[in-house]
Amino acid sequence: MSKRPFLGWFASPSILIAFGIAASFLAIVQFSLRAHIPGALDPGGFTLDNFTTLWKTVYGKAFVTTVLLCWWTALFTLLIGYPLAYAMVRAKSARLRSAILLISLTPLFLGEIVRTYSWMIVLGNRGFLNATLMQLGVIDRPLDLMFTMTGVVIALVHFTLPIVVVMLAAALSHIDRNLERAATSLGAGRIRCFLTVTLPLSIPGIVTATSTAFAWTFSAFATPQMIGGGKVQTISTLVYQVGFASFNFPLAASLSLVGLLFTIAVLALFNTGIHRLERIGAH
Amino acid sequence: MLTEISAIAPQDTGEDTAVQIDGVSKSFSGTVALEPIRLKVRRGEFLTLLGPSGCGKTTLLNLIAGFLEADEGELFIDHDLVTQVPPHQRKIGIVFQNYALFPHMSVAQNVAYGLRTRRVPKAETAERVREALALVKLEDFADRRPRQLSGGQQQRVALARALVIRPRVLLLDEPFSALDRNLRSAMQVELREIQSRLGLTTVFVTHDQSEALSMSDRIAVMSRGRIRQIGTPSQIYDRPENHFVSTFVGDANLFAATLLEKTDATASLDIGTTRLSLATFQEELPEPGPVTLFVRPEQCSLTDPDQPGAIAATVALSVYQGSYAELHLDCSVAENGRVMLRVPASEAMEPGTDVGIALPERGPAIYTTTERET
Ligand SMILES: Nc1ncnc2c1ncn2[C@@H]1O[C@H](COP(=O)(O)OP(=O)(O)OP(=O)(O)O)[C@@H](O)[C@H]1O
Ligand SMILES: [Mg+2]
Repeated sequence: MSKRPFLGWFASPSILIAFGIAASFLAIVQFSLRAHIPGALDPGGFTLDNFTTLWKTVYGKAFVTTVLLCWWTALFTLLIGYPLAYAMVRAKSARLRSAILLISLTPLFLGEIVRTYSWMIVLGNRGFLNATLMQLGVIDRPLDLMFTMTGVVIALVHFTLPIVVVMLAAALSHIDRNLERAATSLGAGRIRCFLTVTLPLSIPGIVTATSTAFAWTFSAFATPQMIGGGKVQTISTLVYQVGFASFNFPLAASLSLVGLLFTIAVLALFNTGIHRLERIGAH
Repeated sequence: MLTEISAIAPQDTGEDTAVQIDGVSKSFSGTVALEPIRLKVRRGEFLTLLGPSGCGKTTLLNLIAGFLEADEGELFIDHDLVTQVPPHQRKIGIVFQNYALFPHMSVAQNVAYGLRTRRVPKAETAERVREALALVKLEDFADRRPRQLSGGQQQRVALARALVIRPRVLLLDEPFSALDRNLRSAMQVELREIQSRLGLTTVFVTHDQSEALSMSDRIAVMSRGRIRQIGTPSQIYDRPENHFVSTFVGDANLFAATLLEKTDATASLDIGTTRLSLATFQEELPEPGPVTLFVRPEQCSLTDPDQPGAIAATVALSVYQGSYAELHLDCSVAENGRVMLRVPASEAMEPGTDVGIALPERGPAIYTTTERET
């Protein structure tokens, strides 16, 4: 083996980042174990009280809301993203392909605040959506979209769509076209071909995309904060409120820590799910 | 094109035609992949499409299968017009180069796929799957996954899957090119046996000329989106109709010559300083002028350099091949400066020896030199 003299240099930034993450993680762990002294920014002595406090219903409700939010967002993102990804991979014209890619990626370029404000304009009682629907006579009272779960889910779907489309497109483009051709030559029409070949083979991609979408929404802050307006309380908005409105850093730290462990648990669950599905797929 | 007329030769009309391709052409965004093709595949025939990479073989196969839409022309299968029929209703069996087995299904499920889409009853499906697997000698592998099989076994599953639906035509696109040499020849024999046992009309694509010569009833030699000649392997090998076919199939020695005069039976030409009078198999000879003379290595023989009618050459290299030796000769009138001959291994000669090449009086072919480009 020859020595690779540049390897150390290339690796050094990652060491720096790892060090930063480890340091902030340790700080959070440390804070979460300290007592809160009302009125003071500095924490008190060591205690486990923060974690027992978390058993209160407010916090429990935030966990449930967060999971529900993630679940609905992941579901609708998948339902919209799969056809988009499929069209993007299978479109015959290169121009159509890049148009779909561009449209599905725009949310990433907008920036969180701009995007969320736009949604507030669209979703408000006199917003674009309600105004249009009322003009068309579909509804006669404005729908409650702002400060509701529905509104937050709509905005989060928009926020999550790009990564789901890109991940699904990657998975779909790895499916050999000849498999679909073989199925077709064996008498399968479009729908049967999709249900028996394309869909089963894209299951691993669906699971990865869904779990990424889950983690992605789990950490979303500006969207639930601004569109939920305090009525839709997620773990991230609660951490913000506890930490920066009440200056209870120790409780905010323990909330973050439990949220992190929770995310890891959910992703681990997904992971075992993938293996299950792959085994089902393999039978 | 004159050469394409042979594809619809009148003697075909008495035969039963399984696939008829009538002026089908295809371009991809402006570039022509296939010129209008006319081709009839007889029922039960093993027809090979042979040609260099990019000549349009896969495109033609995909047009027959229905995966591509023809720009113009009509396609008939069993005398039914199928130009507009979608692929899943054409009842065609296909074997791909990369096998294209469904990775999430067992071998038996793969083979059963085409029966389930046609709602064949369960008991009959099981029976036909078993038969098809027996045909390719894979009865014991029914419950395996495709990835647990070797390349040759996977290709046999693909064949069984295509055959079980009793297709009207079997299409194979370079099915053996991913297999090693021994396995490939075993699979060639096996495919040919199964095909003739079932009397199955087959269109086989390859760019391997020896595979084409050994397996086919007829070969269609293609280049640049056109069929350059169609005929039995021996017609293709012994009587190539043009410069392209002569060099693409088998070894060829080509001489730059000048055609002086042609009569019905013979042609007289100058090759360098040598004047010759030859009889060829060709019905039509090019106009007098610069031409290319084509001779197979086995038609040439060695003589004394001073012999009248002999072409002067010098031994450049002798390659031992076991039962024979290949003599590569430097020859100033050969088109690429080289001529190749096969001699018994005991008669191999030292490099530098001056020899004469004697051409046969019958057999060589004369092509217009301009044809070389295609
Ligand atoms: N989908 C496509 N889009 C654009 N051009 C194509 C497409 N498919 C084929 N072509 C072009 O058409 C020509 C014929 O291609 P085809 O695949 O039929 O060749 P082939 O004879 O099968 O070659 P090979 O032996 O390499 O498989 C090639 O020049 C190829 O570049
Ligand atoms: Mg090809």
